[in-house]
Amino acid sequence: MQASAARKMTPEGWLEPPPLPHHYDTVENHQSALRFGMWLFLGTEVLLFAGIFVGYFVFRTYFPESFEQAARHLSVKLGTANTLLLLTSSLTVALAHYNAEHGKNRNAFWLIMASVAMGAGFLGIKAVEYTEKFHEGALPGKFFTFSEITAPGGPVFYVVYFFSTGLHALHVIVGMSLLTWVAVRCWRKEFSPTYYAPVENAGLYWHLVDLVWIFLYPLLYLV
Amino acid sequence: MASTTHPPAAAAAHSKHETSPGKLVLNWAVLCGLTFATFGFSQLNMSPGGHLAAALCISTIKVTLVVLIFMHLWHGEGVNRIVFVTSFVFLLVLMFFVMADVETRFTLSNSRIPPMPKIDQKMMPTGMPPGMSDGPSSGEAGQK
Repeated sequence: MQASAARKMTPEGWLEPPPLPHHYDTVENHQSALRFGMWLFLGTEVLLFAGIFVGYFVFRTYFPESFEQAARHLSVKLGTANTLLLLTSSLTVALAHYNAEHGKNRNAFWLIMASVAMGAGFLGIKAVEYTEKFHEGALPGKFFTFSEITAPGGPVFYVVYFFSTGLHALHVIVGMSLLTWVAVRCWRKEFSPTYYAPVENAGLYWHLVDLVWIFLYPLLYLV
Repeated sequence: MASTTHPPAAAAAHSKHETSPGKLVLNWAVLCGLTFATFGFSQLNMSPGGHLAAALCISTIKVTLVVLIFMHLWHGEGVNRIVFVTSFVFLLVLMFFVMADVETRFTLSNSRIPPMPKIDQKMMPTGMPPGMSDGPSSGEAGQK
């Protein structure tokens, strides 16, 4: 912490990068290790969501009619709006990464904040959908009282629906928190062509959130 | 435990394979187009299996674009590609074997599992939600 407190502004207009840890030979080594660590973590995230997707396909095989009926009761408009919001937020995160890499910290700040705002929009739309489901009684397990789904297995669809979208929403909240932390550091002009790994890694996490939704959207809303 | 600072000279090396903002915007436009294509396919008159196949194909294309361009795996280090592809392969392995099991189950002729008791609908508590009074042929195993 003492080292970061002593960091000075460079003539180019950004803070000096933090000292290179002694066990790395070069900046490139350090950046590669940080990136590799993040990709390993994302690999475990893929396997976490794998369980949810396998559950979806198993229950869909058991209860095809109720899954079809339940999908018709989800709002395709809201689902599509959420997909477009997440795709656009991924674009702004990728652009923020590009700007941070070029030392344009203020541009990166605004782009990241736009992504956070779109994440909040996503959660807002999700809250509207959840509220509707609560009022209809379209809920998991024993809480299910939705009379419009007559085929067996309706409560199971909503177990899958709430668990998958809930876990995804939790990831959106974590992603927004990470992006906000990175945005604050952009505002302090901490990033430069030699040090931008936090922006890149927070961005990678956000893209993973997008990847999961790319599969959830058609499986829940359209198929 | 820091011994040296980031040498500014290394700055030039990092961005030799970066993706330009123009390409990022183009990628976003293609992804939005594919989203509408997914929606369009869902409105076509096809079998449920056809809908599922079309949705999964388009989603896989979208995910590939996000991973290669937004996540920079196209220009990234090979080791990161191995990590991601491996995790995806293990997802497919899990899905393949679980679904192979689920899709090929049959009633065992020598099963010792007794059949599920028949539920008398009149005995069901009032207010039992619809869809809860029946299950996925749960009593099949052991039925004669």
